[in-house]
Amino acid sequence: MVSFASLEFLFRFLPVFLIIYFIVPAKYREMALLFFSIIFYAVGEPVFILVLVVLTFLNYLLAMQVWKVGEGFSLHEWQKKRRKRLMIRIVALDVAVLVVFKVLGSFVDNSLLPLGISFYTFKMISFQIDLYRKEMWNKPKFQYAALYFMMFPQVVSGPIMRYNEGEFDLERTCGTEQFEDGLKYFVAGLGMKVLLADRLAILWNDLQMIGFQSISTPLAWLGAAGFSLQLYFDFWGYSLMASGLLVMLGYNFIENFNHPYASKSISEFYRRWHVTLGKWFRDYVYIPLGGSRCSGGRLIFNLAVVWLLTGIWHGNGFNYVIWGVVLGVFIILEKLLYGKYLEKLPVLGHLYVIAIIPITWVIFAVNNLSQLGIYLGRMFPFLGGEGLAVNEQDIIKYAANYGVFFAAGIILCIPGVFGFFEKHKKNPLVILLLAAVFWYSVYFLSSSAENPFMYLNF
Amino acid sequence: MKFIKNCPLFLLILSMGILFSIVALGGKNTIYAAQEYEPLKAPVLSIMFTAINDNIYPWQLLNGDSVEAGSPLQESDLSASSKEQEADQEKTQKQDQIPEQEGSEPSKDQELAAASASPEREEEENGEADPSVEGGEEGALASPSPEADINDPSQETEGEDAPFERLEPLRESTYDEYINHISADIYGDAGVIRAAGYEFEQVDESYFDDALFIGDSRTVGLRDYTDLSEHADFYCETSLTIYKALEENFKGKGTVREALESKDYGKIYIMVGINELGRGTTEDFMSKYTEVIDTLRELEPEAKIFIQAIMRVSGKKDSEDAIFNNSNINARNNAIATLADNKQIFYIDVNEAVCDEEGNLNQEYTFDQIHLLGVHNELWKQFLLAHGA
Repeated sequence: MVSFASLEFLFRFLPVFLIIYFIVPAKYREMALLFFSIIFYAVGEPVFILVLVVLTFLNYLLAMQVWKVGEGFSLHEWQKKRRKRLMIRIVALDVAVLVVFKVLGSFVDNSLLPLGISFYTFKMISFQIDLYRKEMWNKPKFQYAALYFMMFPQVVSGPIMRYNEGEFDLERTCGTEQFEDGLKYFVAGLGMKVLLADRLAILWNDLQMIGFQSISTPLAWLGAAGFSLQLYFDFWGYSLMASGLLVMLGYNFIENFNHPYASKSISEFYRRWHVTLGKWFRDYVYIPLGGSRCSGGRLIFNLAVVWLLTGIWHGNGFNYVIWGVVLGVFIILEKLLYGKYLEKLPVLGHLYVIAIIPITWVIFAVNNLSQLGIYLGRMFPFLGGEGLAVNEQDIIKYAANYGVFFAAGIILCIPGVFGFFEKHKKNPLVILLLAAVFWYSVYFLSSSAENPFMYLNF
Repeated sequence: MKFIKNCPLFLLILSMGILFSIVALGGKNTIYAAQEYEPLKAPVLSIMFTAINDNIYPWQLLNGDSVEAGSPLQESDLSASSKEQEADQEKTQKQDQIPEQEGSEPSKDQELAAASASPEREEEENGEADPSVEGGEEGALASPSPEADINDPSQETEGEDAPFERLEPLRESTYDEYINHISADIYGDAGVIRAAGYEFEQVDESYFDDALFIGDSRTVGLRDYTDLSEHADFYCETSLTIYKALEENFKGKGTVREALESKDYGKIYIMVGINELGRGTTEDFMSKYTEVIDTLRELEPEAKIFIQAIMRVSGKKDSEDAIFNNSNINARNNAIATLADNKQIFYIDVNEAVCDEEGNLNQEYTFDQIHLLGVHNELWKQFLLAHGA
């Protein structure tokens, strides 16, 4: 049920929640959302919900100490020091919890990694630092802090919203127009996830089934492109569903993806990809370290730290570290060497992004380092990637089977296309299209038991 | 009113949802009787969609209340019984459905299918109805008796040894097996043992020049990752089942039936069965499999038919999956092995070449626990080369 793209969520949890949310008096709506968020999380993680609940209480209590010390117009030096000490203590606690579970998940068993912990601990850290920086206008109420940490649209995979962006203190208007807008984002996201990402996932599964040593070089590139699109529509679709849900409930739209494949450099790509995570690292790691207003050596160090952490954050495996390091190297090179040329030569910039990013996604996708070597060897056979039992014609079959998904995916990568639909969202044709997307997605969810692999035909 | 004006998408989805639910409820006991769903996890309208996947469309509701053009899988879908409380009702329903689905020889197939679909039927009737299982009662004892009934007039006696009689099941699938998607081992290993008595010979690749392969995605792997396709013709595609083996229109090639009419094949290899593991009983599967083999013989009387055992899954899959596991696979292999007569129909088991000591698909040969990695299809090819007849 923790996936929005499931019949259980769409037809059981969500309708019940929406009915309750909209029939209770406005002042109880936050409580209703909190209540349903706890149920949502408890269904997915009946044991580890304790971690979330305990961390929520601890974070709130310690944050209130920081708040208390910081009250008043001018602070004494001792007050400032004490606030800082208190803030560091709670941030260190949040980080420690995340690290402990990451280590358990990596080295003991994957099931020991609580659902969404990478996301909600990051929100908690953000909450603490924003509060310490006095960016919050009013003293946060407990139910708002709890809601911010736990709200079900974001608890599993973000977006990592800021507390202020939630506008918890303001009177929330839940207009019908806003509800409809949110629904449109939600349906668009559902379609991206089910109709594109889940279909392309079968291609990647097929490549693994064949064995990387037996795929032809063109198929290796097609696979890399397919995985790139799959990941994009999986995550962008998920983010649209999450943000769409919140818009339906009267919150702001949180943008997490801004057409990254239209970028002209890797740095720009990551300003547009998983925007909330990038901003988190920028505001809470990169800028405190000194940002870019410092010496060249220090800048390299700052970027290296950010990208190493980004790599580690993404998963349990050495390949994620390599992935982060490779991106870090490209971004450092862009900052120091050729970034300015890319700006001037947009065509070159686009080609550079389109060529490099899929290779980095292969590193992201393949957990086993020797398999990763084989895959990269198939992509670059002149570097000595000998194939075994390769079917040179395989590309024809896969291009024919998946061509339509590639075409749809590539078209949706063009910023103007999504913009066009946003602009004409009230057009009856767009509405009909969205309704068709919704029911076609439900068809796939029904007939594949929600897991594209579970009843994959053999 | 403002709501109607402002929320057209919401209202459209809502009204379509209501419409689909009405359709689903309307057909719940008729055209959708075979669709499974869990009310807590999925809406009732999901059965409309799962049915579309089985080629049952909503407008068939208008054609009356029985399934006219249901999918070939329908008769075997176990869930029918879980919905229908009374066994009798279910039996008649099945018998209603089957005749319309079988193509060419209505009377014979009807009896055969109906007999095997309803385990309660008298075996006598089974024997009488179908010449191909004549002498069945003796076989029902299922002793691995190579010197089976030679009085049978329908037999072709080439040479001195008579071809093997087809064995009869030792027992029937139980209701529990039926509703839990367990393939019952109703034949035991008598057929496998009997078939293994044949001494296969090593052949070279030219042996496959007049061979036809029929199969699912595993055979697609054999085609794409060995050089057998330079010799043999492959009629295979992902998700092929025995129910579609003859009728399926293979992309750009036509059906197996057409292939056999247009070219004389000396050998026909078939491996299907994993996709339909979750559907129907061993009896259902077996009756269709028998029909397909008999049709193949009819269409190509001179060809040798190689029934290939369904390849097993890895130990990991075996222990995790309630349907796609090796005990179900073995039960069905035991059934189809009984069709071998060691004269013209042979049973060969590639699992000998690709499984570990415990009889599971070797973990190192597979990524997804089901298919051979491309490079390891060579093991299968070598096995086929060693099993010429």
